[in-house]
Amino acid sequence: MATDKNYGNPELENKLRDRYYYTTDSNPEFLEDVKTLSRTIAHMCFQCGTCTGSCPSAPRSSYRIRLFMRRGVLGLEQEALNDPDLWLCTTCYSCTDRCPRDIAPTDVIMAMRNLAFKYDIVPRNFLKTVQLIYNTGHGVPNNDVNRAARVKLGLTADPPTTHGYPEFIPGIQKIMDHYEMKDNADRILAEGGQ
Amino acid sequence: MAEAKEQPRIGVFICHCGTNIAGSLSIEEVKEYAMTLPGVVAAEEYQYMCSTPGQSLIADAIAEHKLNGVVVAACSPRLHEPTFRTATQEGGLNKFRFEMANIRDQNSWVHMHDWEGATSKAKDQVRIAVAKARLLEDLEPKSVPVEHAALVLGAGVGGMQAALDLASAGIKTYLVDKDPTVGGRMSQLDKTFPTLDCSQCILTPKMVDVGRHPNIELRTFTEVENVEGYIGNFTITLRKKARGVLSPAEAEERGIVGGGCNGCGDCSEVCPVIKPNPFELGMAPRKAIYIYHPQVNPLLYTIDFDSCVKCGLCVTACGEEKKAIDLDMVDTFEQVKVGTCILAIGYDLIPIEEKTEWGYKRYDNVITGLEFERLICASGPTGGKLIRPSDGQIPKKIGFVLCAGSRDNTGGVAKPYCSRFCCMYSLKHAHQIMEKIPGAVPYIFYMDIRSFGKMYEEFYYRIQNEGAKFIRGRVANILEDPSSKNLTVFTEDTLLGRPLSLEMDMVVLAAAIQPKPEAERIRQMFGVSKSQDGWLLEAHPKLNPCGTTTAGIYLAGVCQGPKDIPDTVAQAEGAASAASIPIHTGEVQLEPYFAQCVDELCAGCGMCVNLCPYGALALVEKNGRTVMEVTEAKCKGCGTCGGFCPGGAIKMQHFTSPQICAQIDAFLLEGGEQ
Repeated sequence: MATDKNYGNPELENKLRDRYYYTTDSNPEFLEDVKTLSRTIAHMCFQCGTCTGSCPSAPRSSYRIRLFMRRGVLGLEQEALNDPDLWLCTTCYSCTDRCPRDIAPTDVIMAMRNLAFKYDIVPRNFLKTVQLIYNTGHGVPNNDVNRAARVKLGLTADPPTTHGYPEFIPGIQKIMDHYEMKDNADRILAEGGQ
Repeated sequence: MAEAKEQPRIGVFICHCGTNIAGSLSIEEVKEYAMTLPGVVAAEEYQYMCSTPGQSLIADAIAEHKLNGVVVAACSPRLHEPTFRTATQEGGLNKFRFEMANIRDQNSWVHMHDWEGATSKAKDQVRIAVAKARLLEDLEPKSVPVEHAALVLGAGVGGMQAALDLASAGIKTYLVDKDPTVGGRMSQLDKTFPTLDCSQCILTPKMVDVGRHPNIELRTFTEVENVEGYIGNFTITLRKKARGVLSPAEAEERGIVGGGCNGCGDCSEVCPVIKPNPFELGMAPRKAIYIYHPQVNPLLYTIDFDSCVKCGLCVTACGEEKKAIDLDMVDTFEQVKVGTCILAIGYDLIPIEEKTEWGYKRYDNVITGLEFERLICASGPTGGKLIRPSDGQIPKKIGFVLCAGSRDNTGGVAKPYCSRFCCMYSLKHAHQIMEKIPGAVPYIFYMDIRSFGKMYEEFYYRIQNEGAKFIRGRVANILEDPSSKNLTVFTEDTLLGRPLSLEMDMVVLAAAIQPKPEAERIRQMFGVSKSQDGWLLEAHPKLNPCGTTTAGIYLAGVCQGPKDIPDTVAQAEGAASAASIPIHTGEVQLEPYFAQCVDELCAGCGMCVNLCPYGALALVEKNGRTVMEVTEAKCKGCGTCGGFCPGGAIKMQHFTSPQICAQIDAFLLEGGEQ
């Protein structure tokens, strides 16, 4: 366990804090949970870097999928779930296509996001997306610019989705209510979370 | 069965195998139980039954208790049956009065955490073994003479070394290769790591030696057609493919004195057909009548009849004196008799183009390590000048992609194993470009650098010191700039934690290796197993790495698993030594497990004769009746005939019906009424 040094100065305290990894930092249950949820052999990662090398997000952000794979292997639950980069995966599945160990790193990220949701660790934009889906059936609902573009292309202004058939929205709401997604999103947003 | 009337006196010997067995089940309980079994007069246990005191224990007990059957409950017969048979023999019994119960591999190792279950299963195993031991009979192994000759299949560096060793030990050796020349893969390489010897320079003397050694019969452009027989007495049919060209000796046989091919090359000059040369991996042309390269042995031209148009220009060019070319030549067959065989059939690269992310065969400037060898080799298609295939320019920034298809569990063409020499040859390639091209920088993309051999780690140090850039990250993908044909390599520098996008002039893929396509047919002919990755299976990975499960067949080189030249040559010398033992001993003992025909019961129906996969059975006339007879040396004791015989006239020695039935009874009746 990391030890406090007591310099009596919070800034110095943080700068010189104990950065050793201790086995007590690991939660072995975390790796098992990730494996169960992701249905992939997350423990078999040998850190070759093919995933990050394939990742369209990595060159444009601080998101490093290989780092999350490593945190999974070591069971560094809090470090993984509290890192906002967790939400930068575009789920393109390039890493899953190329991983030489035949792991699905994308699914590991999805599993970690699910686990983070249990701790109410979800970025606001994701929670707002939940609300949008609940109300319109779309994560990105149609808007006037799109409608104009569609008409120009000879399409109907609204696509044949819940926009065209709003009677199906209650069905979507029923599914989301079952998982209490909307209630949780509303609650976390109201509490002023992330 | 006269022996059955003798009262059984069985001794049971239980091995602890340290804690391998004793740690998972109760030796004491099994011992007490053994004493309750019918016919058992002694039961002992010992720490290591295979040790000298353990073996003495068995020999002494045979004398003390007048035993006529021995049961050892220990490891697997494959490991220690010979040991305990010897102990049985030293105690004064026929060595086939021994039966083994495998309570380790098949019990304690499997049921490591089930003390009660493992103990109970060990009792079952001992009871079953004792049931058979009560019915064991004296058997005599059969000795057969061994042909004083050997065959080596594959004339690469491994096959040539094995053949030279055998031949120098006084054994006539047939060295067979499907290609028109000896030399194999090593002759395609430019330099060898870590010494940087010129590969051809150190190989050519061996190529010449195999051609002129008085004990080596060289058979190039020849394939094995059929294999019959058993250790000591293999009859192997060779198909000598039609070469279209006569050697001086063959010409003389046809009465053309002083004729035959002298390698002048006049024929090739006039030949109008141009094809890619497979030796240069298609990067240089050859004619329909060709040699692979100037150092071939034998120096004989070969006609590729698949592309020859039979225009006859070569015949004219060759002239009336030599008369070396015969456009109507057909394949011929030859039978050779040998005592032992060595397989040294080598490897291929995987079709790395099927790993599409690296763009091989789509991008001009992505090549394989083997193609790099030809391009950097002075005798190669570019005279040793490394150029980009796209524009002939000299590359300055060259990427080396390690583990291209090796250590890859995604299936398809990828291989889960390490190909073992790619790290080292890529280091060597890096050295070669820095040596030959001023200002060239090699970028080596790696997961781990496996420089495990003698002087290999020092070589790694040297190449890094020379300026090679090492990037720890497996290459995710490569993209080509369509106009410049330059390549952008994407990976992560895992040590920096940053994705990389590096523009390269050329990329060399260290492609994984795989068994030759013909390996499957060859291993079936020779009766050799394969391991799960397709390489030929050795008898034991540590204790018998050159042998196979078929007596008299040995392995050398990469066909047994990826290995570099030093390991290949070492294994070849090991295989040659192993293969020479039966030949020098002059005879081998065959296990007396062969079938026996009980003449009184045989109706002479002959159904068994056609069933036998080894052609060991025949119908003969005996005392006015037609009965079956077994050629014991050919019989492998598979039991096909014995299981089939409607009259029960075929007895499988050491696996007789009464013995097997007793074992089944002992198991199912749990020691009850039999």
